Amino acid sequence: MDNKQLTRHISGQFNAELEDIRNKVLAMGGLVEQQLEQALDALGALDMELAQKVIEGDHRVNGMEVDIDEECTRIIAKRQPAASDLRLVIAISKTIADLERIGDACVRIAKAALEKRSNNQQPLLVSIESMGRHATRLLHSTLDALARMDVEAAIELHKEDALLDKEYEGIIRQLMTYMMEDPRSIPGILDVLWAARAVERVGDRCKNICEYVIYYVKGRDVRHVSYEEMEKD
Amino acid sequence: MMSLDAAHGPSGKVDLRQLTPEQTALEINGLNLHYADKQALFDVSMKIPRKQVTAFIGPSGCGKSTLLRCINRMNDLVDDCRISGEVLLNGHNIYDKSVDVAKLRRNVGMVFQRPNPFPKSIYENVVYGLRLQGMNNRRELDEACERSLRGAAIWDEVKDRLHDNAFGLSGGQQQRLVIARAIAIEPEVLLLDEPTSALDPISTLTIEELITDLKSRFTVVIVTHNMQQAARVSDQTAFMYLGELIEYADTNTIFTTPKKSKTEDYITGRYG
Repeated sequence: MDNKQLTRHISGQFNAELEDIRNKVLAMGGLVEQQLEQALDALGALDMELAQKVIEGDHRVNGMEVDIDEECTRIIAKRQPAASDLRLVIAISKTIADLERIGDACVRIAKAALEKRSNNQQPLLVSIESMGRHATRLLHSTLDALARMDVEAAIELHKEDALLDKEYEGIIRQLMTYMMEDPRSIPGILDVLWAARAVERVGDRCKNICEYVIYYVKGRDVRHVSYEEMEKD
Repeated sequence: MMSLDAAHGPSGKVDLRQLTPEQTALEINGLNLHYADKQALFDVSMKIPRKQVTAFIGPSGCGKSTLLRCINRMNDLVDDCRISGEVLLNGHNIYDKSVDVAKLRRNVGMVFQRPNPFPKSIYENVVYGLRLQGMNNRRELDEACERSLRGAAIWDEVKDRLHDNAFGLSGGQQQRLVIARAIAIEPEVLLLDEPTSALDPISTLTIEELITDLKSRFTVVIVTHNMQQAARVSDQTAFMYLGELIEYADTNTIFTTPKKSKTEDYITGRYG
């Protein structure tokens, strides 16, 4: 979004409005990133207080989504944006929905940290934490690509989600082994499974955001297409 | 007719790059136009599909009205105007020496920015062209009058006062009356030169709705300053700048993913 084109409108007010939603979506991304980091910290250390803080912090994420969405609607109604302006507003409107869902994933991870049963599963939680750190890096880079509207980075990050999916599959296999070995541990392991699933979903959401970046810059909808198609000009 | 609709595909869209002769109403080839020493159009080439709405957009002085006027040779009336290149209507060059300009203009009707009814009754305004063509049968004229007024979506508003003076109508009604007059003689092509720029928003919407209806019978070419209007009513949009045709594509493409940066700058309201 570091696109100098953005500020060349004849209407200064329109410039300001686009700048504003752009800044707000980046701020929201920052907040979600912080939520994810803290949720993983809470999970790693089974820090109940921190987990509680993450859960309570989610309303701020939700509030930002509503706020930015309202602003997007206002811009569409008042300015009838076209071409790249329209794509920017649409991309932002979709990005915030995915960021909000990442926020929900953070709450789910934090809730796993609060579970008493989780205490017995600490070794498993550690492997989720490492997968979680991978997801955090992915989110960070995705937000970076969004800030710079960097198509090449977006395509690379889009591919990286597959690695996260592999880690997730590994954890599932591990969890299944534990469940077979000791059925009494199933309730606790399910909590871990939900947390792993939440982390895996963060990767999917990042992938969506990368698609919006490509949509904004190239003007092409690259959902459900091959990488070959995606990389075409 | 059937084959034409089939070729339009499910959405009624045509592929501008692959227009067949039947689908092409107008073909403009290498058109250059000079007003005295000043060149107003530079090598414009495009195909305008039949029974679709094609919009010309661009800043003031970009040549869009000039190009529109070339389609029914209105520029012939301007002194020192020189034209080269060709404009084919159904495959025949309208600048050919053998072309009867009056006949051409019957086939290519035009509506201007300000409604210009004649100082006559509503009825006489509509049948004026038909009378000129020698139609005098009262019943035929009555039928044509009703058909045209219905076609221009104004019949219900004026049917009880057909013999009142046309100047008693509102601006929006006058403009629709002028459209009724233009379609009374059943032209093939209808040229609209900023038809709503003198009208209020509601009258504008009525005319836009009318334009959408008109394309089932006529090829419509519209010049408009209102970009959103072009986005709403047209199937194809041509963006012109400084006398050149910069980009011409289907309207959805122009307004969501234009290829040329000049087009993008214009429709998003950026400094050129």
